[in-house]
Amino acid sequence: MLTEFETKLLGLMMIVIMLGMGASLTWRDFLIAFRKPKGVLVGVLCQYGIMPLLGFLLAQALDLSPAMTVGLILMACMPGGTTSNIFTYFSKAVLALSIMMTSVSSLVALGMVPALLEFYSELAGLDSGFKIPAGNVAQVLFVLLIPTVIGMFLRKFNPNIGATVELLGGLLGVTVILFLVVTWIPRNHLLLATTPWYVFFAAIGLGVFGIGLGYVLARVLKQDPNRSRTIALETGIQNGPLAVLIVTLTFSGTMQQEVLLIPVLYSLFIVITSSIVTVFFRRQSIREALARDRAKDGTVLAS
Amino acid sequence: MTESPVRPWHVSYQQVGIAQELEQLPYRNLAELAHECCQKWQRESQVKAAFSCVVPNGMNGRLSFTQVDEHSDAFAGYLRAVLGLKPGDRVAVQLPNSLGYPVVALGVFKAGCVLVNTNPLYTETEMIHQFNNAGAQVLVIVDMFADKLPAVLAKTGVKHVVLASVSEFFPAIPRTIVRGVQRYWNRVLPTVTVPHTRLKDALAQGRATLTKTPARTYWQGVGRDDLALLQYTGGTTGVSKGAMLTHGNLLSNIQQTRAMGQSHMAPGQECVLTALPLYHIFAFTTNLLGFLAIGGHNVLIPNPRPVQNLQRAMENFPITWMTGVNTLFNGLLNEEWFVAYPPKTLKASISGGTALHTAVAQRWRELTRTPIAEGYGLTETAPVVSFNPLTGTPRDGSIGIAAPGTDVRLVSDDGLDVAAGTPGEIWVRGPQVMQGYWNADEETSKVMQNGWFATGDVAVMDETGFMRIVDRKKDMILVSGFNVYPNEVEDVIADMDNVLEVAVIGVPDAKTGEAVRAYVVQNPDHVKELMPADVLAHCKKHLAAYKVPKLVVVRDDLPKSPIGKVLRKDLRQVVAQELSRG
Repeated sequence: MLTEFETKLLGLMMIVIMLGMGASLTWRDFLIAFRKPKGVLVGVLCQYGIMPLLGFLLAQALDLSPAMTVGLILMACMPGGTTSNIFTYFSKAVLALSIMMTSVSSLVALGMVPALLEFYSELAGLDSGFKIPAGNVAQVLFVLLIPTVIGMFLRKFNPNIGATVELLGGLLGVTVILFLVVTWIPRNHLLLATTPWYVFFAAIGLGVFGIGLGYVLARVLKQDPNRSRTIALETGIQNGPLAVLIVTLTFSGTMQQEVLLIPVLYSLFIVITSSIVTVFFRRQSIREALARDRAKDGTVLAS
Repeated sequence: MTESPVRPWHVSYQQVGIAQELEQLPYRNLAELAHECCQKWQRESQVKAAFSCVVPNGMNGRLSFTQVDEHSDAFAGYLRAVLGLKPGDRVAVQLPNSLGYPVVALGVFKAGCVLVNTNPLYTETEMIHQFNNAGAQVLVIVDMFADKLPAVLAKTGVKHVVLASVSEFFPAIPRTIVRGVQRYWNRVLPTVTVPHTRLKDALAQGRATLTKTPARTYWQGVGRDDLALLQYTGGTTGVSKGAMLTHGNLLSNIQQTRAMGQSHMAPGQECVLTALPLYHIFAFTTNLLGFLAIGGHNVLIPNPRPVQNLQRAMENFPITWMTGVNTLFNGLLNEEWFVAYPPKTLKASISGGTALHTAVAQRWRELTRTPIAEGYGLTETAPVVSFNPLTGTPRDGSIGIAAPGTDVRLVSDDGLDVAAGTPGEIWVRGPQVMQGYWNADEETSKVMQNGWFATGDVAVMDETGFMRIVDRKKDMILVSGFNVYPNEVEDVIADMDNVLEVAVIGVPDAKTGEAVRAYVVQNPDHVKELMPADVLAHCKKHLAAYKVPKLVVVRDDLPKSPIGKVLRKDLRQVVAQELSRG
């Protein structure tokens, strides 16, 4: 279980992360995204269509305990994480689309996440003790919108401060995960040792299948391979720290510990999963770019 | 040919309100211009800064007019009092667009020394040739390319190295971040292994000498006819040589450029996007000097590729003016963010370097609702020779009318003026025409006679003085506005053991205007098979990227004239046939 101080620290870090996300945006970026909304719409569909359903199905198939089920479903319903932007950058995919998807899914989250959470909790037959009150979630999300908007203003008011905050937010996104590793694992290594394989499978599978299905759906909806890779990463990579924050604000004691298990495991493994996927995606991107060059020039020498 | 030829374009001047005679700036030299303008515009200009530099993520630094004045004074002090340079000594500057550039370039002028603009992307071979030819004693280079120094210093007379960074003069935190990203993320900051001085330290050392000898002392004796700049170009013959531009050449061309833009310029209120490199004569005269002279704000972009790198600069600064090349304007027109929000503050744009495509010009006008016009010029003419007025009906495809104070003749192969409507080589005479090529009298005499400079470009002129280029006399290849000289590329390729002979030509290219193509023939005495990829690798090692052929074709032989001269025009014909077949 996280101490009260740690919960507060986590909250503070989330605020800085969201400030950074805001600072990566301008109003114009938003408006441009909505001029050609298809990419973002496909992304949001993958985000809130695939992931929650995937989380629910995994929980059912693996017959997880109610506490773990709620952890998994919550994790699956989260908006995209800011770390997806870093992985997109390294994949040579479409950074602007990634940033847009993260921000739009975070905005839509305000209404979408409480509703989806309610729906799938009901479907999974969780009793009221395990349900996360929709109001709580909406409240947290709303509070986090404020730093996002402030971040956007910072960007406009002073580009130097804006760009610095953007960078700081991105770095903190990774730091938070390290923070969880340092604070949570040593206290729970016994729990980890006794955690059955299928819990690991659920935590890792959410990310892996999410990326895979996101790619397939984006391709089916006629997005080009590069945009599809962006959407895939964005779909699979959830805002883990946000889920952890919501859990710590909602549950306490041993129950909190059990509900936290999957969000924390997910957050740890998604970094590894995404790194591997990024290496693969990057290779694909470069190969396609070369092929494009060749087709354009009629050159046989570009390779 | 000393009598004044007719100037048929004066009719057109009247129509668009350009004065017939060139009004000269009241300064003796560029140092005085820099100093006086900085003083005046610090008081009177309404713009936020004299120079800003914006990196792709929006981080930026700025220098006020006073700061530019003071820092360049300090750099002059460093060159003269600390390094002991004499008037007329050459200082090579190899910097991308960044805040260090105006400080150093204006500092060189204030020291009474000669600036040698150098492309930062040059290879060691190219640097060695240029520095030796110019006799450069001091080199100011961006730290990113310091790994080339050991090889270059060993083979040149450069005695002192000053290092500047892209984030020079940025506020502390953005500077630390930009340098951190360069060092650890992009890994573009090599370890410097040669003795050097950082620009900041050079300025501090120079500043300390100013109380004893004010910077003004160094430039007081410099006149309009004194050499200011060695701007290297392949010229008509392909061997890279320095066009000698005087203070007077550049001061005149500032005014000639202003004649083109004045209808859309308000002194002390303009903000110009400087995406073109300042080491190139176009942006050097037009943006750096021209907008400094009218108290404008130069927004410097270190690297405009990809074009997205301009987005934050255009969002965060009220850009009123742009100079660019066809590729840049076309690139912007293909950016979603630009098309959705073309800058509302924009007043006008000037295109140069290479032909502005009619389609691009028309789309630009439709989208931005501001005029865009093409100018024509050469390194040897500092650069502007002619331009299209920004007012009146646009004449796309034309290079416009001669700039005020300029005489232009179109001359046939036998040296006689051609009739209106007949193609002839453009000859130019005017206050912007260079003094000749540095230490190359023979080359100079090939292009200059009685004050006339033969451009090598062939054009036709209509009765109102508007000109249209019909052909380039020289075989020079224009890649995205940069000159590539077939001789130079051929020399590099010919160095390969298994190459028997080589010919380099330009072929039309949708993206870069022209692309370099090399035809090579295998040397039968060498067993090793001649592979195009090896030729490319060899070129990449010895030539700047834009000079490297896009395509290498191995042939059994090359078309030749009866005396054995390789006929590039025949190869061009082959390409033309290929293209017409599709």
